[in-house]
Amino acid sequence: MWLQKKYARILSEILPVGVVGASLLLGSTVPSAANEHPTSSQPFAADKDSVAQRLAAIREAVSATTDPTKKAAESGDGDLHLAWGNWWNNWGWGRPWGGWGWPNWNNWRNWNNWPNWWHNW
Amino acid sequence: MAKRADAAGCAVPRIELLVIQPTPFCNIECRYCYLPERNSKAVVAPETLVNLFSQVFASGWLHDCVSIVWHAGEPMVLPVAFYRDAFRMIDRTKPGGLTVTHSFQTNGTLIDEAWCDFFAEERVNVGVSIDGPKRLHDRNRLTRSGRGTFDKTIRGIRLLRRREIPFHVISVLSVASMAVPSEMFDFYAEEGIERVCFNVEESEGDHVSQSFADGEVDAAYYRFLSEFWRLSSAMPGKIKFIREIEHALQQVIRPKDAPFNNQLVEPFAITSMDWAGNISTFSPELLGLKNAQYGDFLLGNINRDALVEMPQRLNFVRMTKDIQAGVAMCRERCEYFSVCGGGEPVNKLAENGSFVSTETTYCRVTKMRATDLVLNALERVPPSSSGRTEPSLPLGMPAHARDQPARSG
Repeated sequence: MWLQKKYARILSEILPVGVVGASLLLGSTVPSAANEHPTSSQPFAADKDSVAQRLAAIREAVSATTDPTKKAAESGDGDLHLAWGNWWNNWGWGRPWGGWGWPNWNNWRNWNNWPNWWHNW
Repeated sequence: MAKRADAAGCAVPRIELLVIQPTPFCNIECRYCYLPERNSKAVVAPETLVNLFSQVFASGWLHDCVSIVWHAGEPMVLPVAFYRDAFRMIDRTKPGGLTVTHSFQTNGTLIDEAWCDFFAEERVNVGVSIDGPKRLHDRNRLTRSGRGTFDKTIRGIRLLRRREIPFHVISVLSVASMAVPSEMFDFYAEEGIERVCFNVEESEGDHVSQSFADGEVDAAYYRFLSEFWRLSSAMPGKIKFIREIEHALQQVIRPKDAPFNNQLVEPFAITSMDWAGNISTFSPELLGLKNAQYGDFLLGNINRDALVEMPQRLNFVRMTKDIQAGVAMCRERCEYFSVCGGGEPVNKLAENGSFVSTETTYCRVTKMRATDLVLNALERVPPSSSGRTEPSLPLGMPAHARDQPARSG
């Protein structure tokens, strides 16, 4: 539960700036010195909690915040609700194809969700 | 894949992506290319395309949209008229209400004004393969006489920009390019390339990747991607889309019940056809591969066989069983399963020798390290002073990036 609370706090910091803003904000936290990055012999995900636990906690935190009933009860913050809703819509969760919002023809559908094929081209 | 069931209770496939090989021929000879027939100048017959689309449209396997990718050879070695005819045939025969999108992945060397007219008129999604600045690109992307192709490719990209045709680039990363993220970033920025996708040179088919042979490849990739992301954030507006970061963000930060599927392990979600009409599914690379255990991965030929009967083929049943067994192993063993959905069958086969297997270098590079990068970035987000105030944004972040309403503090 504490993991979910931790991520709820973190996500509350980044989601209001939207998808593009979040990518920029998170990218700005990346350390610049190459020697600060882990080598292959070290765990890449540095947190002591497992990757699966962290991912599950993040999704729980997202769901808790995007659930209108929980939101009304727990936060009472309509603006935050709107921010989450916009985030969600911008990424198209709830639509099988995802919604990239890529400013390309035809909204760029899903085929770019397929990196492997293009490797040698 | 959202599955429906037929009268017998069997899952009905849903085709989301059609990969069509209009010709196996390519006008260049990249060092890392694995396509076995790239010297063949065979061309798909119009009747084969008619047979494909008449069967696909009648299959009941489509939802409301389908993407068509013209690839597996250089699509632009064929004339524009070929595609105009093909697109009109598809428009004439497609069911009402179905949205069809077309995409080209090209080496960019043949882009001219006529192609730009076509891309604009038909709203084709264009991906150009370029591996970075000339000194890196020309190491691997060569003509048959061994000369570099950079000058022709960048000329095509500049024409796309001048004509305001939206495009993205895909860059194959080598050990050399992963060592110089700043040089790569500067190249894209100087050329006005705003949307980038990275693939690490892989071992597939007959090609053995030097990058994958290097045990440090995922560490090198992590360093490259993190530095590239940092640079993009420090200079907002230059690079507007890094596929690997956007995908990782999308997969990590999502509601717990958000729909998620891995097309590569869903039968017929990706359906591939070669120039001769042979059909395959799962990883599109399987279309041209042969294997001691499976023979080939062809499910039939669209000119002779019924598409809707292909799921009953013994090789399909066997392949599906093995791929699903591999996915089950991933689900059971891998911490990253929820961002991946069971990996990439062709890489499991190439790297591990079996579909019934789990982790590959491809997994580590494309899924795990990008996920780690996002998870680690999340950990570094500092709490704002009030805990619920406007977050600190990168210096120079443009106003348009603020695409959400600000909260009251």
